[in-house]
Amino acid sequence: MRATIFASVSLCLLTLFAVADESAQSSRLSELLTDNTEAGFKRANAAREFLFPRDHGPHEGFRNEWWYITGNLDDDAGRRFGFELTIFRFSLTPGRPQAQSDWRTNQVYIAHLAVTDVEDERFYVAERFSRGALGLAGAQTEPFRVWIDNWEIASNGEGESWRIVAADTDIAVDLALTALKKPVLNGDAGLSRKSSNIDSASYYYSITRFQTAGTVSIAGRNYRVSGLSWLDREWSTSALAADQVGWDWFALQLSSGTDVMLYNLRKSDATVDANSSGTLTFADGRSTHLRVEDFNIRVNDTWDSPAGGTYPSSWRIHIPEQGLQLDVQPVLPNQELFTTVRYWEGAVDVSGEKNGVPIAGRGYVELTGYAD
Amino acid sequence: MIPVTYRAGFSYLLRHPWQLALAMLGVGIGVAVIVAVDLANSSASKAFMLSMEKVAGEATHQVVGGPRGIKESVYTRLRVERGIRSIAPVVSGSVEAGDTVLSLLGVDLFAEQEIRKFTSQATELASGSGTSPQNVFRAFLTEPGTVTMSERTAAELGLQVGDSFTILAAGINQPATLLGVFEGDQGTLDNILITDIGTAQEWFGQTGWLSRIDARIAAGDTHALAQFEAALPDDVRILTASGRTQATAAMSQAFMTNLTAMSLLALLVGLFLIFNSVSFSVLQRREYIATLRALGVTRRQVFATILTEAAVLGVIASALGAVLGLWLGEQLLALVSRSINDLYFRVSVTEVTVNSLSIIKGFAAGVLAAIIAAALPAADATSYEPRLTMLRSSLERRAGRSVPYVAMAGLATIVIAVAILMLSERNLVAGLAAVFLLIVGFASGVPLVVRQVSTLLAPAANAVGGTILRMAVSGIAASLSRTAVAIVALAIAVSATIGVSVMVDSFRGSVQNWLEQTLRADIYAGVQRGAMQPELIDDISRISGVVEVSTSRRTSIEDSSGRTQLIAIRMSPDGYAGTELLDGTPDEVWAAWEREAVVLVSEPYAYRNRVAPGDTITLPTSTGDRPFTVAARYQSYDINASAVLMSRTNYDRYFDDDGVDTLGLYLAEGTNADNVIKQIKAMSEGRQRLRVDSNARIRDLSLEIFDQTFVITDVLYWLATGVAFIGILGAMLALQLERAREFALLRALGMTPVQIGSMITTQTGMIGFLSGLVAIPLGLVMAWVLIKVINRRAFGWQIDMSVAPEILVSALVFAVTASVLAAIYPAWRAAQSQPAIIMREE
Repeated sequence: MRATIFASVSLCLLTLFAVADESAQSSRLSELLTDNTEAGFKRANAAREFLFPRDHGPHEGFRNEWWYITGNLDDDAGRRFGFELTIFRFSLTPGRPQAQSDWRTNQVYIAHLAVTDVEDERFYVAERFSRGALGLAGAQTEPFRVWIDNWEIASNGEGESWRIVAADTDIAVDLALTALKKPVLNGDAGLSRKSSNIDSASYYYSITRFQTAGTVSIAGRNYRVSGLSWLDREWSTSALAADQVGWDWFALQLSSGTDVMLYNLRKSDATVDANSSGTLTFADGRSTHLRVEDFNIRVNDTWDSPAGGTYPSSWRIHIPEQGLQLDVQPVLPNQELFTTVRYWEGAVDVSGEKNGVPIAGRGYVELTGYAD
Repeated sequence: MIPVTYRAGFSYLLRHPWQLALAMLGVGIGVAVIVAVDLANSSASKAFMLSMEKVAGEATHQVVGGPRGIKESVYTRLRVERGIRSIAPVVSGSVEAGDTVLSLLGVDLFAEQEIRKFTSQATELASGSGTSPQNVFRAFLTEPGTVTMSERTAAELGLQVGDSFTILAAGINQPATLLGVFEGDQGTLDNILITDIGTAQEWFGQTGWLSRIDARIAAGDTHALAQFEAALPDDVRILTASGRTQATAAMSQAFMTNLTAMSLLALLVGLFLIFNSVSFSVLQRREYIATLRALGVTRRQVFATILTEAAVLGVIASALGAVLGLWLGEQLLALVSRSINDLYFRVSVTEVTVNSLSIIKGFAAGVLAAIIAAALPAADATSYEPRLTMLRSSLERRAGRSVPYVAMAGLATIVIAVAILMLSERNLVAGLAAVFLLIVGFASGVPLVVRQVSTLLAPAANAVGGTILRMAVSGIAASLSRTAVAIVALAIAVSATIGVSVMVDSFRGSVQNWLEQTLRADIYAGVQRGAMQPELIDDISRISGVVEVSTSRRTSIEDSSGRTQLIAIRMSPDGYAGTELLDGTPDEVWAAWEREAVVLVSEPYAYRNRVAPGDTITLPTSTGDRPFTVAARYQSYDINASAVLMSRTNYDRYFDDDGVDTLGLYLAEGTNADNVIKQIKAMSEGRQRLRVDSNARIRDLSLEIFDQTFVITDVLYWLATGVAFIGILGAMLALQLERAREFALLRALGMTPVQIGSMITTQTGMIGFLSGLVAIPLGLVMAWVLIKVINRRAFGWQIDMSVAPEILVSALVFAVTASVLAAIYPAWRAAQSQPAIIMREE
């Protein structure tokens, strides 16, 4: 559901090709998306049938796609970690180019790995780029696998057991994930509208709860960890409208077994886009769609990035129909990713009440469009 | 007291501006040549190093493979299985755009950030509708033939951003588009074309292969290096980037050393010129010096005065020479870089890098040479007895007495030179030093020889030409103190002429013979870079009249010990005789050569690597390092003469490469070669650009290239000769000035101006003739040393020495002509003199 990260992806590509045209780099994300490159790509503009495990695999006819896994983990001694592993796929052209050389491809992959070490108050980030060629990076359906260099997200034939492996200089994750719920379709049966423009939408599903166990390594030390993870899958050709500046996204796993996904699309006039929405997935796997008027998000505090920009940093979320009132607090203020494009994505704590009964939880929040 | 003597000394020099100018010119030209050669050499090396470093980027190591390179799967394995990140794949090679040869660098932009920055830069992009940085990036990755280059290169090629043009790669014309230009960093990235690795693979016909993988490994991180090595297959090696650069640069080292040697030769001649000038100035001031001594000036003061004079002269002349050298260096650079481009590697040098060390070296050499050259006459001057010096006759007696001693010293110098030659084994610099000592040694004996000869000739001269000729001839011996230096300088210049000419001529003769023997096939067809298309080879082989086809493949393989040229040949039965074996009997050697793990090595390879027949050499093959037995050495004057010759069967066995770059076609009796050439050209049209030539044409072309290569040798040799000419002119002028009174007396005694003039001209001509005559043996010795010692040490070539008589004759003619020309002005002046005035002055 990370529409703005899609914009980030295209920016990442630009920084690979360091064009001295300053205005191009500092231009608004949305402007970059209004070029003519959408012609020829498939569109997310109608209902479709989702089929698993097939849809875990790539959809190359669409311009962009991502596999987004976040999670909150503890080791045996109670030391707390957060992690994010995201792999973006990007089609430069609608079709594969003619080529004798295997290097020529329209497929580009970018990946972000982040680990939050709550106890040491450290936040680690790593980034990868590659073309989707020669097995350097790619995605396949059976069995499902998406990878870039030696970073990988894979699952077994049925899509229930997953494994993620990624390592950088200081950090590494090697985790086994077992799906506790079936995939849930967000938006209108998986078609997630992003603006009033009919073509501005994506296909979007999530597996909101994985039992997770494995190893997190920081600076050469291995921690045996366990906890919960969340998968977001989204593909589209166009996402942001010209008047949209960014995105606040919440993925919260509550102690009651309910999982909450909410996003606010922020417009340049500081209002919230009417297409902002959410999904509640209950303990038994049933889900319900939330429209913009079904929830309210209030910012309680802010955090100033040392690199510039002020992010919201504490929220009160109210979902009246469910009797839910949740306070969301980052486990660490600074979980900003200094990848080629700057954004904030971090582990959070949840406390609050459901119909007056105390409730707790953990989750991940993503904030984009604040660093410009 | 001392200031007065110094002032007197300088005012003397200023009163003889000709002498002063010539001495300065001698030192100046010597210094200029040294500075110029050094600047040209260092600029070429520096440009090459900078360019290599720039292209290597942050890479500390480079992974290289066999003749075709590395399989691209190796790269995937390193990245995906081993998780090694700081690596970048490269597919590179030379391509042509019109007449310009360019280096093509095919890169993966995604990996470049770790190694190089410039490849992903573009300051100016293709303009036009719908073009954004995104589109440029997309086009670079997904559209074939899109390139970027430096602004300067684009301007030189006359290209605008967005233009389409044609690239010739591996003999095939390919459409290209200039997508953007980048700044290019002071020319270090000139003539480099950057493209996506996919385009580079397609253009070179190298799909599936990489030229190399650049890697960045932190200094001292032996763990990372070991991990790296463990991940590599047998046919792939990891080498340090600096080592590879140096190995490439080292190939041109011998060439540059030769140039330096030539420049030192120029200074040597200049040194004699100073010696000449200072000697005369001392001789002419003998009365003044004697007077000083009589007035109480000490010997030490006289010595210091003369040395200081020489040093000041040396400083001024060297400074002027250095300035001249800067200019000359620029002219020379074009020649040097052309020679290097022809011989070794592509280097794009457009401007001289002013290296203060080059200037300091040349300057120091000039000043030192001036002081050393002045030391001998200065010591001589101090030995003057105050009273005796006043007498002219004592001077000649002293000079006459010293001639045998100088000759003895010369002999000793020759002995030392020979000892150095024998002991220094392979050292090139020692070889050059020995050459100089030989020259000095031989030259020292020249005055003795001239005196004996002219004494012997005097009676004969009287009989033949009467009094004037007798006076001319005996005048040589009688005024040896003045003529000896001129004789020595001329002899050196002439012998250098002979030595260099005989060397080049012998070399050319050997190359010509070799070409005639080697080029056995009637027609050769091939690509300059890359491999021939297999279908084209088949079609050419089927042309009627073609009875036999030989194939050859020239590649280089590389390991930590450096680069080895490898030539793989499928011989036709007639081809064996074309390779001149230096060991064994042809039947046995050729039978062995076709067997497994047997190779031949070229003579230069054997010399350089100290390999003898029967030895084993290790070559990096596709299955790792393997030993090969050397069956024999073969003769080769090839530009890249250090090579290993392998049968095609063996090559196919040990290397993963089926490419062929040249075909040798043997025609049936009576087949018209021109017709076949036309057919091949028609056949290859639109498929692959081939070079098709008859053996005769290749022979002519090769010799043309040979001659071009020695143009630079010619330039330096003419400079040295110019210095010698000025030397003679100076000597003759000084002689004339000094003998003005004598001539005036002769005029007063009834000699006509014409008689005076012809006497001087005859005498000078005789000096030239005698110098030339003496120079012949010296020149031959020099030629022998240049051929057998210097060339061998520098290149490893074995050359048969052959002496063309016309070289000797023309050297003699040059010596006489130069002397006579140099005498014209002094003779004219002497003839014009008014005896009464001169005698009254006395």
